[in-house]
Amino acid sequence: MTTDSADMRGAQMLHPMTLIQRFLVSLPAFVLLLLPVIRSGGSAEFVPILAVVLYGVLALPLIFLRYFRFRYQITEREVLIHSGVLTRQHRSIPLERIQNIEIEQSLLPRLFGTAKVKIETAGSAQTEGVLEYVSLATARNIREIVRTYQRQQSERIEPGPAVGNLSGSEIPVAFAAAPAADPREVLLDLPLYRVLLVGMLRFSLLYIALVFSALQQLNPDPDEIELWLTRGFLQPIAEFAIASPWLLTAMAIGMAILLSWVAGILVSFNKYFNFTLWLEGNKLHKRSGFLTLSEGTIPLKRVQALLFRANALMRHFRWYALQLQTMGLESAQKGEQLAAPLARLTEAQAIGQRIYPFEMPAAFHPVSRLTIRRAIIRFTVLLGLGMAALAYWAGVAVAWLLLLLPLIVVYAYMRYRNMGYAYDDTTLFVRKGVFIYTVWVIPIARFQVLYTSSSFFQRRLGLQTVYADTAGAGSVASAEIFDLPADEAGRLVDALYARFKAPFAPAATDQAGEGDSLPRS
Amino acid sequence: MRLLEPAIKTVWTIKFAIVSACIFTVVLGYEIYAYIGGSSDLPMPTGTLAALTFLGGLLVTLTVPRLRYRYWRFDLRPEELYIERGIFNRVRTVVPLRRIQHLDVSQNILEREFELSKLIVHTAGSRSSDVVLPGLRMEEAERLRDDVKRYILDDAV
Repeated sequence: MTTDSADMRGAQMLHPMTLIQRFLVSLPAFVLLLLPVIRSGGSAEFVPILAVVLYGVLALPLIFLRYFRFRYQITEREVLIHSGVLTRQHRSIPLERIQNIEIEQSLLPRLFGTAKVKIETAGSAQTEGVLEYVSLATARNIREIVRTYQRQQSERIEPGPAVGNLSGSEIPVAFAAAPAADPREVLLDLPLYRVLLVGMLRFSLLYIALVFSALQQLNPDPDEIELWLTRGFLQPIAEFAIASPWLLTAMAIGMAILLSWVAGILVSFNKYFNFTLWLEGNKLHKRSGFLTLSEGTIPLKRVQALLFRANALMRHFRWYALQLQTMGLESAQKGEQLAAPLARLTEAQAIGQRIYPFEMPAAFHPVSRLTIRRAIIRFTVLLGLGMAALAYWAGVAVAWLLLLLPLIVVYAYMRYRNMGYAYDDTTLFVRKGVFIYTVWVIPIARFQVLYTSSSFFQRRLGLQTVYADTAGAGSVASAEIFDLPADEAGRLVDALYARFKAPFAPAATDQAGEGDSLPRS
Repeated sequence: MRLLEPAIKTVWTIKFAIVSACIFTVVLGYEIYAYIGGSSDLPMPTGTLAALTFLGGLLVTLTVPRLRYRYWRFDLRPEELYIERGIFNRVRTVVPLRRIQHLDVSQNILEREFELSKLIVHTAGSRSSDVVLPGLRMEEAERLRDDVKRYILDDAV
């Protein structure tokens, strides 16, 4: 590696193909600018000419300038990036702060043999440095240099896995101390049928929205569609549908759902094709993608919790996804990274246990049954408010919304049944969710702050909510345990906190040899 | 368990008064505008909303700071910072000292007037910004910070 890294010492420019790539990428925006003119039939001819001139004068030179003013350099201890046309920016990223180097190859770069390198650090939530694009070999080389450096660093400080600044050493790591050769241990290799299953089971409303907005964008002429539909063998169906508007609406919605289902399958096929997860040293690596090939690394010491997650459909067919809650990586994923898109529970647990050893509890403690009542009241009030607002402002008939009441009752009961917690000496387990069911596996040593809260209504019923905050926890879906009886909540927090403190107790510290000057009670 | 400095009640009262006054001004402006324009789409007589806003603001300004003060207590223990607070939603927080990443002592212009400051405790947790100790005397806040800081240095990796 030393000879390779020597090549990278001087200031480097990006791959020349970047120019062509950026030019091609800028074209759609250009066409979009021209779109109104093209559609209006060229009534004002100076507009497209003006656009072309503006494009030639501004956009093209910008592409060239950006390319020629971009330099990157990898020195002994840092990555230097110089960029900027009008304002020059010099960025230095120390090698030891780099958490993750992701190599991404979308369609065009794959044709050109280039790749985008994303450098992520622990300090900032977003990507710190991006090199788009360098040749694939260079990308791999850069990643290797950083890895080699970090391996040497961690060996110099102490043998074994590097210690994270968040008590990484407290967590026993499942694998033996990483040997120099770093053998690859494949944890999951997603077969093709499962890749397709992911899309089929992970039904997302997002795609429906996309389909509808696409329809709106295209704005098809109803008469044209009718003409097109009424040709050939579809004619009887079309006539029948036009005769009853309800059926037409139902067909349109059904069509949109089908389309979005297919779109979802295609998207996840493109995303998870050839998904591979493997363990190498103390880092997890994953790679997947059909048109866009993406590779990523998750250092094990950054993993804060494991999440087994399944939507209602996946759960029905007993499929689960394994997510890792990490800190400092990709804020877009709310700190939760996918480690296994689709696996049987035992399989997902086996993968999880290679990352953090735990014993899934045989049974979960339920929360108070009063939570059913609270959920029914809460959602009924919300429904009432929604109905009142609709009736007042939109003036629509809302009585039929009362049909939702039984659904609320069922939902409240399911919500209670799925909610539970369990703990042993090292781990807290929390499960909940109806539409998206999640089991959190939270190492007690990773706790950051413990919260107990009780709202006015909860106090009247003697209930409390318990939450153990961890780094990188999602703000929307977090492992809060709702509506525990107050005394049980108190006992739970005491038990958890006692287990949290246990490794730091005097006897343990003597053995570990980390002195602590403050007196303890 | 320790209470905050009583002077924080005044600081909060002024803060609430300012916010209430701003909201009231906006509502009043809207009412006047609608009255002059002769087109109010509110289902109540002119001035009702402004009066309600005024009364609501007054009520909040007079009661919330006192209640908040009454329910807010904290304790710096050998291994953790313990906080209890909240009027409607009562929250108890346990911050293990070894989890604290860094500490800020801050003082806004109002607090400076009353010689108060607040201690902000940052952890790596996702709700870390929640942990704030307001209403401390400056030297008290600095003393707390230094006490806790010793712990962070000890545990630094």
